[in-house]
Amino acid sequence: MKQRKSWIRAVGIFFISIWSLAPLYWALNTSLQTEAQVGSKPAHFLPPTPTLSNYRSLLSGAGELQGAIRRSTANIFIECSIATIVTVTLSTLAAYAFARIKFRGRHILFYAVLFTMAFPAYTTLIPLYRILTTFGLVNTYTGIILVYVSGFLPLATWILYNYMSSLPIAIEEAGQVDGANRMQVLWHLVLPLARPGIISTAIITFLFAWAQFLFPLVLSSDLSTQPLTVVIAAMQGRHLIPFSLLSAAGIFAIGVPAMIAVTLNRYIVSGLITGSVK
Amino acid sequence: MTTFELRNAEPPSGSTPADGSARTKVMRRHRRFDFLPYVLVTPLTLFIVGLALIPATFTVVQSFYRVQPLDPPNRFTGLNNFRRLFNDNAIHSSIGNTALYVLIGVTLSTVLGIAMAVTLQHKFAGRSILIAVLILPWALPGVVEGIVWSGIWDSNTGALNSLLTSLHFIDHYQVFLGQHRILTIAAIELVQVWQITPLSALLVLAALQNIPGDLYEAAYIDGCSPWSVFRRITLPLARPGIAIAMVQAVIATLNIFDQPYVLNGAAPTAASLTMQTYFISFQNLDFGEGYALSLLITVVTLAVSLGVVKLVYRPVEF
Repeated sequence: MKQRKSWIRAVGIFFISIWSLAPLYWALNTSLQTEAQVGSKPAHFLPPTPTLSNYRSLLSGAGELQGAIRRSTANIFIECSIATIVTVTLSTLAAYAFARIKFRGRHILFYAVLFTMAFPAYTTLIPLYRILTTFGLVNTYTGIILVYVSGFLPLATWILYNYMSSLPIAIEEAGQVDGANRMQVLWHLVLPLARPGIISTAIITFLFAWAQFLFPLVLSSDLSTQPLTVVIAAMQGRHLIPFSLLSAAGIFAIGVPAMIAVTLNRYIVSGLITGSVK
Repeated sequence: MTTFELRNAEPPSGSTPADGSARTKVMRRHRRFDFLPYVLVTPLTLFIVGLALIPATFTVVQSFYRVQPLDPPNRFTGLNNFRRLFNDNAIHSSIGNTALYVLIGVTLSTVLGIAMAVTLQHKFAGRSILIAVLILPWALPGVVEGIVWSGIWDSNTGALNSLLTSLHFIDHYQVFLGQHRILTIAAIELVQVWQITPLSALLVLAALQNIPGDLYEAAYIDGCSPWSVFRRITLPLARPGIAIAMVQAVIATLNIFDQPYVLNGAAPTAASLTMQTYFISFQNLDFGEGYALSLLITVVTLAVSLGVVKLVYRPVEF
């Protein structure tokens, strides 16, 4: 019996590893070959002469494409970082109020937050575009960041609300007894205790922001604000671009989220579970 | 849910002032309006109202209007936008495409998610590493995943063609994308399944970890086979997790955009409804019709999600 179970598990472990890693391995393999090697039939399942020339070309090449990659990398870092900081700050404040303070209108506001989580993000794509146009915010960092924050705030607030509600209340009461006001309680007691929840929320928000495509495709019109995802998709559409270079760009674009996922996955798991179940 | 009022926290007995003054102090505090919670939730409220609720209302109201920025004026046209959608052949084929995406995507991600969760259910050496590996595709942008997988599906240099040829399953390279409709959609949806299955697996896994271990012990002592244990214990008790996993899959697949956009472009073989919203609104600049289509997708998404919850969700208590 035991043996049969471990045999099934071994198949499962093998499948999960192949499923997750094989496509990424193939892109990495392609990116380390020259364009001539990529074209060979049958394909090389290992790079015959591994070369970093595609990456070197992306990072230091002088062409228009290379410039676009570098600029859009800066853009995606700026947009994702600021959107994450704003989202986490605002959702922490609100989650604390929802979890720990009774106030008039609390329920209706909380349900409004949950309600916005229920409809698909693209429902508001066209009106958001028109609102940003009205205020002259299309193709600005501000516009994109505002839209990201509005999209990620409900889930962030929900995760942090669940997390803070699960914290023991006695510590905060003790702080109150010792004469701390509520902002001091929040800053010195709740924030340190809620740190794992806040880190989870920040990581999930950052990954969501990094993955955005349709919103920035509509809301940014040139390289001054286009993130890496939009530029890479545009590369794909042009057939003159060597596939080895495109693969290198793809590996480059997933480097940051892949590193976050591999090193900080326990925060992601706990955040996603707190955010979805309950 | 635990809530309390910090205002009402009992002062330590030692510092309680004389009777009368304490009472007036408490009363004054209660009469004073408490601004703090409102200050804390104001930024959130502004974002939710200004950039979610008002835009959503816009979508509902303006779907009954003719809104074409290049050809004003805007005016009420009743159901005209919807009528035009239903007479549009591109929309018809996209409805079929999207239904296929949902069907393939929800089925595959649920089945694979359950299988992966069962693999990870009990502790073993290297389990946390395997969870890191599992989560990886979830964390990556859909567009880039499309590019990664185009290296597998490609008709000239793709890994799959090369693999199938060397195994002698096919004698010449095949075109997987853009020719045969169902094959194209299945190939594209597999890329999305790759992205959404990790979350399904984690949600089912969370439900599995609530199942008490002695249930399994009892079943094995009674001589149940692994399969009947899975059928009679694991599957029914994991239903809450499976329902949530299926709902996230429904939302993702009904709104698929990145993968078909990157892998098949605007071609009608695989264009999804969300892609049509994009083309109608931002290429034809017909916002009214775009609103109508967004509204339809939203209503269908909510209805199908509710249906899945009704069908699959059963509360479980231990």
